[in-house]
Amino acid sequence: MNIYILVALILFSVMAVFLRDLLKSAICLAVASIFLAVMFFRMGATYAGVFEVSVVAGLITVLFITVIALTNDDAKVPENKWPIIIFPVALAIFIIFDIWFMNKFIILPSKALPLLAQGEKFGDVLWGQRTFDLLGQIGVIFAGVFGVFAFFRRKTDE
Amino acid sequence: MVILFIILPLIIAGLLPLLGKVSKKVLPDFLANAVFALLLGYSFNFAWNASAGKTILSQVNLAGIPLGITLRLDALSLLMLFTIALVSLGVGIFSVNYINQEKYSSKPIYYSLLLLTVAGMNGIVLSNDLFGIYVFLEIAAIASYALAAYGLGKEELEGSFKYLMLSVVATSFILLGISMIFALTGTVELNGIASVLAYSKAIKIKYLIGICSALFIMGFGLKSAIVPFHSWMPDAYSKAPATLPAMSSGIMVKAAGLYVLIRLFYNVFGITPAVQTVLMYLGVISIVVGALLALGQNNLQRLLAYSSISQIGYMVVGFAIGTPLGFIGALFHMFNHGIFKSLLFLNSGSIENATGTRELDELGGLAKKMPVTAGTNIVASLATAGVPPLNGFWSKLIIIIALVQAKFYIFALIGILASVVTLWYFLIIQRRAFFGKLNETWKDVKEAPFWMSLSSIMLALICIILGIAFPWFIRLWIEPAANVLVAGIIR
Amino acid sequence: MSELAYICFVAVAVLVFIGLYCLMTMKNLIKLLIGAEIVAKGVSLALITAGVEKNNIMLAQSLAITFIVVEVALVAVALAIVIGIYKRKKSLDIRNLNNLRG
Repeated sequence: MNIYILVALILFSVMAVFLRDLLKSAICLAVASIFLAVMFFRMGATYAGVFEVSVVAGLITVLFITVIALTNDDAKVPENKWPIIIFPVALAIFIIFDIWFMNKFIILPSKALPLLAQGEKFGDVLWGQRTFDLLGQIGVIFAGVFGVFAFFRRKTDE
Repeated sequence: MVILFIILPLIIAGLLPLLGKVSKKVLPDFLANAVFALLLGYSFNFAWNASAGKTILSQVNLAGIPLGITLRLDALSLLMLFTIALVSLGVGIFSVNYINQEKYSSKPIYYSLLLLTVAGMNGIVLSNDLFGIYVFLEIAAIASYALAAYGLGKEELEGSFKYLMLSVVATSFILLGISMIFALTGTVELNGIASVLAYSKAIKIKYLIGICSALFIMGFGLKSAIVPFHSWMPDAYSKAPATLPAMSSGIMVKAAGLYVLIRLFYNVFGITPAVQTVLMYLGVISIVVGALLALGQNNLQRLLAYSSISQIGYMVVGFAIGTPLGFIGALFHMFNHGIFKSLLFLNSGSIENATGTRELDELGGLAKKMPVTAGTNIVASLATAGVPPLNGFWSKLIIIIALVQAKFYIFALIGILASVVTLWYFLIIQRRAFFGKLNETWKDVKEAPFWMSLSSIMLALICIILGIAFPWFIRLWIEPAANVLVAGIIR
Repeated sequence: MSELAYICFVAVAVLVFIGLYCLMTMKNLIKLLIGAEIVAKGVSLALITAGVEKNNIMLAQSLAITFIVVEVALVAVALAIVIGIYKRKKSLDIRNLNNLRG
């Protein structure tokens, strides 16, 4: 089952890249992220899955669609033909290389590691161990907000 | 209270746009520069600790409850903090007049972004956590995309977009490396990774660390503009407000790129001869390519960008030698380059503020009209080219002696020749911008305003003083930092 | 390495490849951002997979969530730049950005 979800994820990503209509490719991107979220749920990462659905599939898609609507039809960009023609071959070669590489280098003997206490809660990990990241998130949000402010400021506000 | 280095700029950055409603100019000027000055003063507070070789691992408490923040402050991070605070103070003072230009409005937002880059860099330097390094790197990066396009001109936006796209690729490589490390060791803390790797002898782990090293060299190499990954730098800098390149080339390239690279390779993974060789060649190629490409440029900031690439090459070479002398030279050059290259960029800002252009063929004869800018520019140029007795001479000399000691005679020769080329193109700048006949268009040009001149003079004085007092500076600040790298893997 | 982690890492590499291919060949600014998003999906899958591999899914989740927040800020700024370029150039074609010479 997992492999079908991953294949769907890859398929929708490819469609997001190569569809000519930007609106359709933004929606494909959202669908891909929903498949990714399903994968996260199956791997036990429920909170990350929720974030993936609500933020990436939701918020980022909305941002993309807003921008696509703002930069409407007269901005059609002719794409080159050859990337689409070469792509399947390139992807096939890459996948073969990837699998060869993984088999050669990555398979490690699964050594037993100290298991986490099963009762550990997500909130405890996030707030207890990763507070530094939360501080960083505040900074990143500031940077994003002020950055967007800087781009949309009226230039004669003095 | 090591956390103050991160919290203080972050809080003031958040408050400034709100306070900006009260006072649009004076308050942001004052607050931002006060923060930079405070951080500079506060870094002295730890100087004796660090020069004694102590490492402070500070666990942050909030009202008695321990938070999940562990910060690592040793001599190396202290040197970076000091450089960051010094350069950002220079840039901050310069901005007081510079951002009054018509095309750069809204001072509070500008200073917020500047403070956020400083908070991001301080976070990178103090972080004891690989993922934390990534998050704070993003803060600095996102703020600098906005600063790079602050004038909102067509070319600024394009340069900023190119910078953003290449940085996204860089951070993706970095994160792939981080997740590989996480999959290997089960932790993202620097000392945790170091201790797990130190006890694992399996050959496949060595391969995987090799792949991670490649990913990190690509990622942080892009961030620090080492040659095959340098193409964002000239484009992002050529039209940006002069304070961004001063900040970015002066310190961000080092804090977000080189510092992390050497910290990882010398203190966490343990250096291997293969990595040293790769870094050595990348550094030498950077020196040569940067110096040669700088020769043909007409836009002042684009020229300085190529010059930065070349100077970063010297640092990479110095670090790659791996001897204590190499570390001292590279770290000293890192500090010096922060000072004189930001001074050069700020001077290009002064020129642009006075004349409205940065194209060298439109300038000429400005020395009579702008004596302070011309004078400080000569000091900085000679320091960059490595002319005695300025600070840049000593750091380059130490790197070249270290190269000779380690028997890299050809690289040492290339280093000397490239520094001749450097001198040549800086003389070209001086001749075309400051000497010669005064272009009729600029007969009403005035000297840069007070705060801009003050900042230039301050940085130029540091170049001269360090040129004389370098043994003291090396003993107090550089040597302890080099000892951190010599000591190898952290615990 | 478990089988799940194995196929996930293969998928990560493929996603990153698709994203980088998009970044290298496409000419539309918004398409480039979509490529960057696909790389980002690969990266977040890599983080979670590493957590599964090390039986430390909680830590992996908190890293992935921080990564998603960073991504949103990045995309917002990037799209603001795209709108700025569009306003001045009336075009989203990267071939029109000919002022940059590398």
